[in-house]
Amino acid sequence: MATDLAPPEAKAAPGHTPGRVPIRTALLRYRWLYLMLVPGLVYFALFKYLPMYGLTIAFQDFVPFLGYSGSPWVGLKHFEALFTGPDFGRLLFNTLFLALLTAVFVFPAPIVVALLLNELRVGVYKRFVQSLIYIPHFLSWTIVFSLTYLLFSVDFGLVAGWIHGLTGGARVDYLAQPDWFRPLVILQLLWKTSGWGTIIYLAALASVDPNLYEAARMDGAGRWRQFWHVTLPAIRPTIVVMAILTSGNLLDQSFEQIWLLTNSLNRSVADVFDTFVYYVGVQQGGYSYATAVGLFKGVAGVILIFGCNWLAKRLGQRGLF
Amino acid sequence: MSASRRRSLAGALTLVSALALSACSDDGGGGSGADAGTVTMMVPLFGTAPDPKGEIHQAVEKLAGKKLAITWTPNAEYNEKTNVVLASDSIPDVMVIQDNKSPSFVQAAKAGAFWDLTDKLDKYPNLRPKSEQAWINAKTDGRNYGIYRVRPLLRSAIILRKDWLDKLGLKPPQTTDELYEIAKAFTERDPDGNGKKDTYGLILPKWPGVSFAASSPYNAIDVWFGAPNNYGTRDGKLVPEFDVPEFWEAQKYIKRFIDEGLVNADWATLDTAKWNDPFVQGKGGIIIDVNVRAGQLFDELKELDAETYDSKVAMAGNLSRPDGQKFSLPFTGYNGIVAVSKQRVRTDEQLDDVLRTLDKLASKEGSILLNNGIEGRNFRVENGYAVKIDDQDPGMKVVNNDVEYAFIQLGTTSSVGVAGDAYEWMRPSQAEQDWLKQRDELMNLDLQTAVHDPSLPVISQTAVERGATLNPIPTDARIKYLAGELTEEQFRAEIKRWYDSGGTQILTELQDGISKIGG
Repeated sequence: MATDLAPPEAKAAPGHTPGRVPIRTALLRYRWLYLMLVPGLVYFALFKYLPMYGLTIAFQDFVPFLGYSGSPWVGLKHFEALFTGPDFGRLLFNTLFLALLTAVFVFPAPIVVALLLNELRVGVYKRFVQSLIYIPHFLSWTIVFSLTYLLFSVDFGLVAGWIHGLTGGARVDYLAQPDWFRPLVILQLLWKTSGWGTIIYLAALASVDPNLYEAARMDGAGRWRQFWHVTLPAIRPTIVVMAILTSGNLLDQSFEQIWLLTNSLNRSVADVFDTFVYYVGVQQGGYSYATAVGLFKGVAGVILIFGCNWLAKRLGQRGLF
Repeated sequence: MSASRRRSLAGALTLVSALALSACSDDGGGGSGADAGTVTMMVPLFGTAPDPKGEIHQAVEKLAGKKLAITWTPNAEYNEKTNVVLASDSIPDVMVIQDNKSPSFVQAAKAGAFWDLTDKLDKYPNLRPKSEQAWINAKTDGRNYGIYRVRPLLRSAIILRKDWLDKLGLKPPQTTDELYEIAKAFTERDPDGNGKKDTYGLILPKWPGVSFAASSPYNAIDVWFGAPNNYGTRDGKLVPEFDVPEFWEAQKYIKRFIDEGLVNADWATLDTAKWNDPFVQGKGGIIIDVNVRAGQLFDELKELDAETYDSKVAMAGNLSRPDGQKFSLPFTGYNGIVAVSKQRVRTDEQLDDVLRTLDKLASKEGSILLNNGIEGRNFRVENGYAVKIDDQDPGMKVVNNDVEYAFIQLGTTSSVGVAGDAYEWMRPSQAEQDWLKQRDELMNLDLQTAVHDPSLPVISQTAVERGATLNPIPTDARIKYLAGELTEEQFRAEIKRWYDSGGTQILTELQDGISKIGG
């Protein structure tokens, strides 16, 4: 539920100190701006806050036919079942491990790519590369999985074949080996998301004042120095904001991605909260239990986002709120 | 980012909000009491929704003597939509329930959302159950909450490359040993004659889902060796498929295929949607699955080479094990049920009215209309088979769509794969017509040795609640054992873990349920 934490209205009027202007006058003065806010507010109320009422079923033994009012209340039964159940430890570990790998490898990737692109001199080539690396973002996970299968299948996989040719020995079934599950997930994420992620950083880089570079050059700074003392400080706020926003999603694995890569041999490392919720809730009809798991994950996400925001402020950066 | 965020809610919360919104929006419009002249229905759809003014819809209404207000719902989202409708207070008069063992339907039915038809169908000549076994299988926790939609009671079969068999001078198998020999020959004796050792025998896919008994090739082999079909009784006690000595015989048999390289190397990961590919491309030569897959293979091979396709598919039935005994893997004999809502159809008179309407649709006349269409309009009859008339005509395409991808789903006594009182469609080649005949012969033969699953009519609460934890245990352990990652002892330890984490309780609950309905 991290989405609901920073609705645009929270940031709408930071420039105008509400202490001095009476709220009425402010409302009147900026009435058109406030009016434009209404659709956004309605959207969040209707599609984000209202459905949260459904979370009550985490505390019920929900039977759809009996509805919210008719289903019996069971208190924390489903949470107890989750925390004491045999799956919890494995799910938490797998989810956190993947989150950690994502934070370490996937999050910095677009920054690196954007910086590299920024150093390119030939404009046409730069735009060409940019467009090219956006493409994977628009492919569905099903297609990404099919490509992975074609490359890594033990039977006819192209990459699997090369590696086999280089190293010799027995053929490795990358798609079925638990050890290779996480690297494949990260590789897929890198391929699919890092190009698209560069957009925001490139925008930040474009807004750096050219005078700063000129001044730095006058002071005798080389390329590396310019990068270190001008470029990086300029995009640091963007990086921090992105880091905070991403932290709320750390526990979300891409459901389809994981689901498609899972099989009987790698399930021990592949099961994460998202796939578990799907299995329990949608396939088994355990609505209440699945909602309890989802709620736990949502709360954990909120804690993470607040924690990162706090940390950013402690480190002297501007936080998100 | 926003996509992955939405995903985070996908599992439970979006579902919940969908339920909430639908519940809200339906509050106003929920009519009470059925209108005597109109029957409302919710039915799965596989093509485009038929126009209520279209020929077929009109013909069905005329036959039924009622106006039909049908909500056609795409098959892919049918179960999700069903859950949403069950949560609302506007359940239609008549509803096709595809998964009548799903917890949401079980709960709704037990809470009184649908008529219990267990003792109510005797007066209706066409609705009265024709197959005792399908009737039992279609029970939900001991009761029949609907009329089952018939499907073949036995569909399991082995499909082989006929040209490969002919080249090596082999015959379709009768026993498990013969199947092994054929797989070995397909792998080692160059059945495609290209001089290279680039073929294998059995094509095994990654089976979707984590339920142990899922009519997979593995389940078929288990049953051939004498293991129960899902659950069975041994010495008066209910035991699972994976805990009898015969099961271990079957595992050793399958493992030999894998260890000796007689199966595809990616057997643990091959997508079931690509299952036909190696067969059609001439890499692998054996598929253990449903008999209708042979029809698909004929079609795919025909696209590749219309000249020779009819000499490339052979079929065999279930196999007998080494000591000569034969056991066959049956299917449930039905696909979902047609249930009548208690919410709108309130009195026994109203129910009688609806059931009489459904009875008309299940008659011989109704079957032909729902399965084939209108004789003389979109098909004609030749030697007892239906043949399409002018099926490239745009108008005719609409008629055929309405029949084959929509109204056939309302069939209860004849439907997909079971012609019943309707006509079987004519297949173009002699080989395919022979295959159809063989399919029916094998089905009737194998039904005599079918091993039925006694647990089908019963629901175990523990299995519902802890299925997410319990189901993958034996399923994954088998695959790991076959892949050589678990030893037999470790596999047995996993089975013990299944018992200890709730399996014992499931068995007790199923046993109680089975003895209650006298099965």
